[in-house]
Amino acid sequence: MNDREFLIGSGIFAVSFIIYLFFGAPYFITGRLVMFLSIVLFSGILIYSTRKAQRGEDIFLRTIPGLKAVEEAVGRSTEMGKPVLFVPGISDMDQVETVAGVIVLGHVSKMTARYETPLNVPVSRAIVMKAAREACKESYLVEGRPDMFHEDMVHYVTDEQFAYAAGVNGIMVREKPAACVYMGKFYAESLILAETGNSIGAIQIAGTASQSQIPFFVTACDYTLIGEEFFAASAYLSDKPELVGAVKGQDMIKVIILILIFLGIILRMLFDLGYLNMSILELLTVR
Amino acid sequence: MLWKRQIPILIVSLIGFATLLGWFFDQPTFKSFVDDDATQWFDILAAFAIFLGGLNLLKLQTQKVLMKQKGWQYSLFAIGGLLFAIVAGFFVKGNPEVAWGAHVTSKGTLFKWMFNYMVSPMQATMFALLAFYVASASYRAFRIRNFEATLLLSSGIIIMIGRVPLGSYISSWFILYLLVLVGGIVVNTIFKNKQYTAIAVLSGIILVTVAGSSMGWPVDKPAVFYLPYLQEWIYRYPNSAGSRSIMIGIGLGIFGTSIRYILGIERSYIGE
Repeated sequence: MNDREFLIGSGIFAVSFIIYLFFGAPYFITGRLVMFLSIVLFSGILIYSTRKAQRGEDIFLRTIPGLKAVEEAVGRSTEMGKPVLFVPGISDMDQVETVAGVIVLGHVSKMTARYETPLNVPVSRAIVMKAAREACKESYLVEGRPDMFHEDMVHYVTDEQFAYAAGVNGIMVREKPAACVYMGKFYAESLILAETGNSIGAIQIAGTASQSQIPFFVTACDYTLIGEEFFAASAYLSDKPELVGAVKGQDMIKVIILILIFLGIILRMLFDLGYLNMSILELLTVR
Repeated sequence: MLWKRQIPILIVSLIGFATLLGWFFDQPTFKSFVDDDATQWFDILAAFAIFLGGLNLLKLQTQKVLMKQKGWQYSLFAIGGLLFAIVAGFFVKGNPEVAWGAHVTSKGTLFKWMFNYMVSPMQATMFALLAFYVASASYRAFRIRNFEATLLLSSGIIIMIGRVPLGSYISSWFILYLLVLVGGIVVNTIFKNKQYTAIAVLSGIILVTVAGSSMGWPVDKPAVFYLPYLQEWIYRYPNSAGSRSIMIGIGLGIFGTSIRYILGIERSYIGE
């Protein structure tokens, strides 16, 4: 799809939606119109940035120390002759963080394949086990080391939160991995895992969007990917233009949101002072 | 290639779009698919997948025992636990009056006994360990190394003391006297002169004493130095501002990642 076709497609979508609205928008929940339009607009920005990047525009991606350290951690494990432990969280594949974690696992396993370092991935959900296995298998194939891949490097422990924490702690204490990578959705077990990793002297890298667990990881790990950094990990590690472009698109959306926040404050102030009849809060509230 | 690449991407895109649009359209059939059917499909898949997980666990632990690998004794407990749970869940109810299915939650059954007297205490033990981990992590986080760590330490102390009943008994004047002493340390660090330090501390003490006497020493005035109010302010403003900025970033990250999957831009999950 070239630019012209993309613009024509967007135009057809916009006109169709206006006609749909004109005919009373059957089944559409009008209280969510602003949200719908925001999603369409933001998706458009993401696609635009991706296309721009694919055309070869040079995009600067700031250095994320946590991601730079992944290779360093795998290298350290190789030098010490110890395994790398990857924990993809305790949630299932219906959580976007778990999916993001499995994607990072794909990149980490490429490094372990390249350096011939053992990789250990204990998981707490059977579906995650299958997905993680596929990701590792592909990485070992891509790196030309299918002989090094064995299915049991990704293994199931248990679905129970604290039983899983106990199992992973046991692996840490027995095998003493040189690097522990935690990428996914975590709950109260985060600190149990990270402190045990700290006690065995492993280099630790964590990434999560679980807001309440970020402080624990920051305290106990050497590097932590906070929130959106975690979701940018795939783009950073793969360096694929379309993914890097999407990260730039996210930054553009962030700027728009900042402008909207300031605009919202001014409009609300004008409403409170009686200069404006329309309440911005009423308009933006999702019903 | 078609089955390993295009078809999975198509499924992800279709289901992703359907789920997204399900939030905006109130068509009963469509809504019931998104809200109920799709999630039930996932549950069914997960239920089948648990067999794979269980078998994998059994295989690995058995291998460990057979090959007498390091720590093989622990594997005996893992295998024993798994088999015991299967027996208690499918073969032995332990209470003939209770129907199959209900035996998982009913009193007096083997499964319930296992849950109450084995699973729960062990989970509680792991959870209790968290307290000690929090203590050791806090010790490391609160060590004064730089400005940020000092800021963290002081806000941590204010929030901890301000949130317990004892905090409300600590007069804001006591905090003011403490601040005068801290000010003395700062003056001494900057000027390295005992006279200047003494003057600063003495004038501070006199100032606070005069102000306190004239106001009648109220415990919660000036409010800015009263710990329960101060901790509330820290919690409500600087803390909320920081956490909301992270929340916006997380939201955007989730949005961006989801759109990348739906549009087929991100294909790493199928190994590309």
